Amino acid sequence: MMRRDEGPRGSTAYGGPARLRVGIPRALAFYRHFPFWRAFLEGCGCEVVASPPTDLGIMRAGTERCVDDICVAVKALFGHAAWLSDKVDLVLVPRMVSVEKKPYDTFTCPKLIAAPDMIRHGIPDMPELLEFVVDVKKRPWWWGCLSLGRRLGATPCRLWGAWRRGMEEQARYETLLRTGMMPEDALAVLEGKGPGTPAYLEEGRVTVGLVGHHYLLGDPLVNNRIVRWLHAAGARVVGSSCFTWRETEEEAGELPPLSWSYEKELLGAVSRFMRGGEVDGVVYMTSFGCGPDSMVMEMVRREMRSRWKLPLLEIVLDEHSAEAGIRTRAEAFVDSLPDRGAAGRRPHGERPFWGAALVVGRGERGTGA
Amino acid sequence: MRMAFPHMGNACIPLRSLVENLGAEPVVPERPHRGTLERGLLHAPEFACLPFKVTLGDCLNALDKGADTLAMVSGMWACRFGYYGRVQHMILRDLGYRFESVLFGGEEPREIWRKLKPVLGRGVARKAAAALAIFRAKAAAVEEIESRLRELRPREEKRGEADRLAARYLRRLDEADTLREVRLLRAEAREALDSVRRRERYEPLRIRVVGELYVLLEPALNLDLVKRLGSDLRVEAQPVLSTYKWLLCSLWLDPRLKVEAARARRLTRPFLPYVLGGEEHMTVSGALTSKEDGFDGIIHAYPLTCMPENICRTLLPSLCRGQDLPLLELCFDEHTSPVGVATRLEAFIDLLRARRATLRRKQGAWARGASFTSRG
Repeated sequence: MMRRDEGPRGSTAYGGPARLRVGIPRALAFYRHFPFWRAFLEGCGCEVVASPPTDLGIMRAGTERCVDDICVAVKALFGHAAWLSDKVDLVLVPRMVSVEKKPYDTFTCPKLIAAPDMIRHGIPDMPELLEFVVDVKKRPWWWGCLSLGRRLGATPCRLWGAWRRGMEEQARYETLLRTGMMPEDALAVLEGKGPGTPAYLEEGRVTVGLVGHHYLLGDPLVNNRIVRWLHAAGARVVGSSCFTWRETEEEAGELPPLSWSYEKELLGAVSRFMRGGEVDGVVYMTSFGCGPDSMVMEMVRREMRSRWKLPLLEIVLDEHSAEAGIRTRAEAFVDSLPDRGAAGRRPHGERPFWGAALVVGRGERGTGA
Repeated sequence: MRMAFPHMGNACIPLRSLVENLGAEPVVPERPHRGTLERGLLHAPEFACLPFKVTLGDCLNALDKGADTLAMVSGMWACRFGYYGRVQHMILRDLGYRFESVLFGGEEPREIWRKLKPVLGRGVARKAAAALAIFRAKAAAVEEIESRLRELRPREEKRGEADRLAARYLRRLDEADTLREVRLLRAEAREALDSVRRRERYEPLRIRVVGELYVLLEPALNLDLVKRLGSDLRVEAQPVLSTYKWLLCSLWLDPRLKVEAARARRLTRPFLPYVLGGEEHMTVSGALTSKEDGFDGIIHAYPLTCMPENICRTLLPSLCRGQDLPLLELCFDEHTSPVGVATRLEAFIDLLRARRATLRRKQGAWARGASFTSRG
């Protein structure tokens, strides 16, 4: 599929001479929905500016502006928002209130719900914020897009085109994520920059499932390049973003309900890795001070013990964690994993899509049950 | 059935009578202290918030005292509190304790009914009505004693007199069985507290304490913040929340509280349009109305990594600056030392006193100047 805009970013066919510059901070929900937002906003006639990958300067700016005992991902959000503050006309900060409809209440995380409020009060010289409310419990998710497009002055016809383009881009992105790629690499592939399949998916003595929120998997500064260190120690690394919502949902459905949707996804991912037989070990990443994870981690440890067949490494990240520490842990963990030998190992390249392999596995189990 | 519930301030007084009057035997663990926290810490997840750890310690104490049923409020909220019961009981079962758990709000009502039915026996409606009536009366009495005590502490002539009286009446209230007794005790306590001698011509500073529910209400956890402010530093500290409000609002036993909560939500909406699951509306609205309610400063107390309160923390400085009110943030976790808290409080109160003096001097000068110009 060819991209319609082959020129520099933002030079889509739409839009007049005075185009709005909309900034998107590279943090939190960015790693889930950026391809959609970019295509959608460009379709609405805006120029999209994404903040650069987190560096120490951005992290420091965020830490200075944010309260101290909040999780590292929110600090990164503050840093990115501050970086954008003097470069764009509007900043898109999504407000993810709920992302699934259930008989019980569902939420994402209070910090995601209040992200625009925090930025508005925490950074005084912010340009106007473009709120994008996702509250699936109350309104379908296109409702937020509709009001966003209206606010940007897009005609219904253009809005429809933007929506369609956005969904296409998002589908491409999610197909890439299904291979087990980390979100940052998938974004690079989408932009035609990175290598086709990253080395960490190709070969390794053992396979490690890396579980964590998209914003932890995708931000190499926050996760201290854990993927690289795991791979350097001899592991093939598969990110938990490879599972679709349905897959994790089915898996987590066997446990008592959880109102945090994203954490339920993680719980499902751990459980899937643990009994899927495709990986040899699981690494669970979380950020210090993450409220939902402090509880869900305990549930992982205790509720799922019965299905445990694999070793689990818990890694807590914050803005002080050093690469050496993560590297030591990654190496020690990979070294401790037993080599399952030729019998246990699957030939590489046989199943290009991680998810496809899982679907086959489920079918086999289904007949046995 | 020997039923236990975690402590929160003086909530055990009405809760004990509620359980008793419903036909179960209440098991009240000892009041939480450092040891309770240490016990909870051993088994709690590392960065769960502090109330989790203390209430886990409470549950352990209760089980050691022979409880066979643990009750806890649960729910599907964005705040972690909704999962306390589920995770704590999982931890306790893993430790080898055997007990029945009743999670109000976290389980199907039918399931709770199945568990409680054998205890309640026959005539449930009448029993429940009587139990709730005495529960409400006791909660209201506790609330009255506590609020009078808070007002009295900085003003009493002999330090500690009001506290002694209140402790005596709270103990008697805990032992009271009938509605009539509670009513008489309440009147007696009111009279006794009113007759405490007050210092003359002393106008204490007034401080509003906002923050997380459990940290505000449990003296073991906030290192006796309110009492320390009242008796040691002689300022009037008024928390925005109370046990009474928390217990009765969710049970729909006092419609006024619902109105108050709705008002708080309305005030908070321009700043936080969505519900976060904690007491963020009380924190924000408390800070917003402090000036008009005649407070001189705000203290924000919260446990480390508390999600709703952390979000409030990003808002509060600008809200307080807008109102021209000083703000002190106190973070509590298992490493918080009483000395550190005392130092911060003393410094804050010193600043507030100096500020009030400056403001009054300025006002006086302004008044003189104004009269001069009007005459000229």
